[in-house]
Amino acid sequence: MKEPEENESEMSSRRNFLKKVGIGVGAVSIAGVAGTSVISGAKSKSGEKIKLLSPDGTLVEVDKDDIKPAKEIVEELKSEARKGLPDRKFIMVIDLAKCKNARKCVDACQEGHLLPKDHEWIKLYLLQDDINTAKYWFPRPCFHCDKPMCVSVCPVGATYKRQDGIVLIDNQRCIGCKFCMTGCPYSARVFNWNDPEVIVPAGHVYNPEDNIPAVEGTVGKCLFCADNLRKNILPRCVTACPMGVIYFGDLLEDTITNSTETVRFSKIMLDRAGYRYREELGTLPSVYYLPPTERMFPVESGLEGTDESIKGRYKNAGPR
Amino acid sequence: MQADNKLIKDLTPEIENTSFKWYITFFTFLGFFALGIYGLIQQIDKGHIVTGMRDNVVWGFYIVNFIFFMGLSYSGALISGVLHLFHTGWRKPVIRMAELITIISLIIGPFFIFFCIGRLDRLYFLFIHPRIQSPITWDVIAIMTDLVGCFIYLYLSFIEDFAILRDYKGLKVPPWKKKLYKVLSLGFTGTEKELKILANARTIMSVMIIAIAIIVYSVLAWIFGVTLQPGWHSTIFGPYFVIAAVFSGTGLLIILMWIFRKVYHLEEYITKRHFVNVGVLLTVIAAFYGYFTFSDYLTKWYGSIKMDSILIDKLFSDYYSLFIFANYIGIILPCIIIAFPRFRTIPNITVAAVIALIALWVNRYIIVIPTLETPFLPIQDTRPDWINYSPTWIEWSLTLAGVSVFVMLFMLVSKIAPIISISEMQEQDKNEILK
Amino acid sequence: MKKNISFTILLISSLFLIASDLYSQDKALISPYIQLQYFKNTDDNRVLKTTLTYSLNRMELPLAGMEIAFYSDGENNDLLGTGITDDKGAVKFELADDLKIATSNDGMWTFNTVFKGNDTIEAASTEIAVKDVTLVVTYTEPDSIKTITVKSYSLIAGKEVPAAGEPVIIYLPRMFSLLQIGEITLDDNGTGSLEFPGDLPGDKEGNINVITRFEENANFGNVEKQKLLKWGLPTDYSLPTTHRALWTKTAPKWMIYTLSVLLTGVWGHYLFAIISLIRIRINAKRKEEEDNYGK
Repeated sequence: MKEPEENESEMSSRRNFLKKVGIGVGAVSIAGVAGTSVISGAKSKSGEKIKLLSPDGTLVEVDKDDIKPAKEIVEELKSEARKGLPDRKFIMVIDLAKCKNARKCVDACQEGHLLPKDHEWIKLYLLQDDINTAKYWFPRPCFHCDKPMCVSVCPVGATYKRQDGIVLIDNQRCIGCKFCMTGCPYSARVFNWNDPEVIVPAGHVYNPEDNIPAVEGTVGKCLFCADNLRKNILPRCVTACPMGVIYFGDLLEDTITNSTETVRFSKIMLDRAGYRYREELGTLPSVYYLPPTERMFPVESGLEGTDESIKGRYKNAGPR
Repeated sequence: MQADNKLIKDLTPEIENTSFKWYITFFTFLGFFALGIYGLIQQIDKGHIVTGMRDNVVWGFYIVNFIFFMGLSYSGALISGVLHLFHTGWRKPVIRMAELITIISLIIGPFFIFFCIGRLDRLYFLFIHPRIQSPITWDVIAIMTDLVGCFIYLYLSFIEDFAILRDYKGLKVPPWKKKLYKVLSLGFTGTEKELKILANARTIMSVMIIAIAIIVYSVLAWIFGVTLQPGWHSTIFGPYFVIAAVFSGTGLLIILMWIFRKVYHLEEYITKRHFVNVGVLLTVIAAFYGYFTFSDYLTKWYGSIKMDSILIDKLFSDYYSLFIFANYIGIILPCIIIAFPRFRTIPNITVAAVIALIALWVNRYIIVIPTLETPFLPIQDTRPDWINYSPTWIEWSLTLAGVSVFVMLFMLVSKIAPIISISEMQEQDKNEILK
Repeated sequence: MKKNISFTILLISSLFLIASDLYSQDKALISPYIQLQYFKNTDDNRVLKTTLTYSLNRMELPLAGMEIAFYSDGENNDLLGTGITDDKGAVKFELADDLKIATSNDGMWTFNTVFKGNDTIEAASTEIAVKDVTLVVTYTEPDSIKTITVKSYSLIAGKEVPAAGEPVIIYLPRMFSLLQIGEITLDDNGTGSLEFPGDLPGDKEGNINVITRFEENANFGNVEKQKLLKWGLPTDYSLPTTHRALWTKTAPKWMIYTLSVLLTGVWGHYLFAIISLIRIRINAKRKEEEDNYGK
């Protein structure tokens, strides 16, 4: 469900989040202050006021003590991003029986992270393991493996796994050697081969949890919408899917939801015989799949009504 | 230090005067180099999209060239180290060339990595944020160690020659060159004590160089070997790459021997015997290389692992001619040429070496690219340049630039130092006289 | 000729009608959708919630910043209060505990909410009728089986009227949503019970928050009772993996040791070679001085 207002409310809640962390007064840009109330802090105010221009054009007066340089804020955000949310272990379950290539997950992800159209952090494959086995649509986000090959091979520590299981990329550390892309067996990463020309909303500071904007010469991938998770909101692909294919949750709570249905993870895995893609590779993915049994519609319906540039991808789909 | 005047004159043809031919050759290659630089500027300006690399084949020509040049480097080190250690008589004319191959390739190789890196402005992160679990960090440490070691080793072998050139009164060179020789020779006068120290150091360094060359090139092989990709996840990659490197280096050595012999009229010093000996070395290594290649592909083909089968199918369909050239012709032809005395002529051996060298480059290509074109999840895309890798003119021009830099550096070295070690030839001369 | 003129007039007037129709469509007011919900929380607070939205391109979008009035008689006479909708189009109004509202014969309260409308949005109003219900939830463990017992009744004219046949849902709050544990349909006495599963993960000590609800009940609205119990399994939050692995910040010990040994060995030999060079230099210098001295 695309709601432009949702983006706006996201932005204002981002502003609220920024309020909690600090206002940025960079050398180049002046970050905004939403409203007149300013970050709290145990620090006693010096009483010295500074006039700032907020992004919506209003002049506000802010206590000098509450202003932090943008660089400091980004460093704080980056170190929080490396730590992750405490006491959580995020997993995703994708129900292959319901997927029919609606591609709303792809659209929502690209919108939410301001991605160029040819960057697909969640990608849809049409797979058929053998001539006698069923064809199925296969949405593939980043698997956020527990033994991530991509993290092991990164020479500068630009990609890392944090305590809640999410693997992130620090686009300000990445040197673009692309070793992680050859390390990932699931082709989950994309590279910014040229300037992605993203229009960044005013006042936005870099945060590895949303990786906006995409940086030329660095790597990008699905982040399990870590920025949303911090606000207890589901990842964008989960809520966007019209068929409720993608479930998301905390393994330690044993509960997953696709925003309309909430089920116990252990129960659905048992009932539907869930599995992980290529378990034998041993990377221990955090994404589980439910086999495409008892379809309600034929697989080919996923090709109807799609653009030729998308349909053409699956011309040779079949057993390899 | 004294040496036979004739020896000096013969082995240092370009030190005094620069021939017209030298200038023509040098500036031709400089032109190619400039073209490469233009391509590089395009790449930096417009981004890596101007190359043929895309999201699946993320490593193309640049990495192939990197492995290739590093391979030449380590093989040069191995050959000169081994030959030095075993005091083989016929090594003298060629050992200097091998050492030079080592250093020059080692300087060129890392530049190809730089071309492949997306954010060159952050290259220093490799040194301030290193992760020692990453094979690339191992490679950075290894290359730096190797660079220093090779320089020390090369310098050790040059000292005596610098001393000879310093003392040769008849040398008509500008004063800055004379000063250079004086400084670089460290006041070496050839006393017994000095010779002993030098010999000791050289022996130790040659042992080190052999060990380093093997370890360092294995580390490079493990950049591929430790990943899960079909075709790369092979236990044989470490030794395989080392053997392949020595193969390519030996081939290059023969080619250089031929070029310098021809250009500088060194027929007296580089004889057919040398060609045959290095040629035999080439054949032996070709046999090993063939053995490793066969072993690798046999196990992939025989087993029914799906991803291996898909890769083998791709090699025998899309890459058929390249595969046959690299792994059949590249091995069998040099072996035939050198094994039969009838074919063992200097031009033939050089042709065998050229085939071997090109075959090795193609071998690197079909190790890197076909694997990236057959990932676990099939490439489902409509854009042809995202499905198959096709290098662009920029990648070709930078490859040519790399070769040009190799040639130019060799030419520049020949202006300062002898291509064949005068001191060693002198020793050999003495021994011959004594016999 | 006449035919032509009349035809032209017809054409022009129909065009005018179409144009004015289009024109009037531009000026047509937005028709909002208004929804009123009644909530009774676990501490017996009663809240009314109005949501004001409108439909555009088959999407439901909120109307923020609108003034909403709450009434308690269905006639727009007894004003309870007003509020402004937030950015999700919702506004809540808390009813006072000692609220005296007239009930109908069957004990129903009527609440209505009104949006007056403005230049661009039409007016809207809706009403709901709810019966005040008491929800009693007891948590027992007979024979070590965790059981939830629910009893619900309404007080009508001083008599207890059981909420027979009504469904009550048991939930567990999780990070993004509520997990449904089970549903109880109350019997004729307004009671029911449910066996609570013993394998649900709780926090570190095994605490879980059990929510028992009437959800969007036609008679009762939304009524809820929450309780924090130690009925979950304690969760072990300690991280399973070591801090030394291939993918962690610190490398495995053996890697560090091997690297150190190799590097020390190799660079040590380099040092030896450099020292040899230095010795040659010193030697040569000394010899030069000797020669010079000798001269």
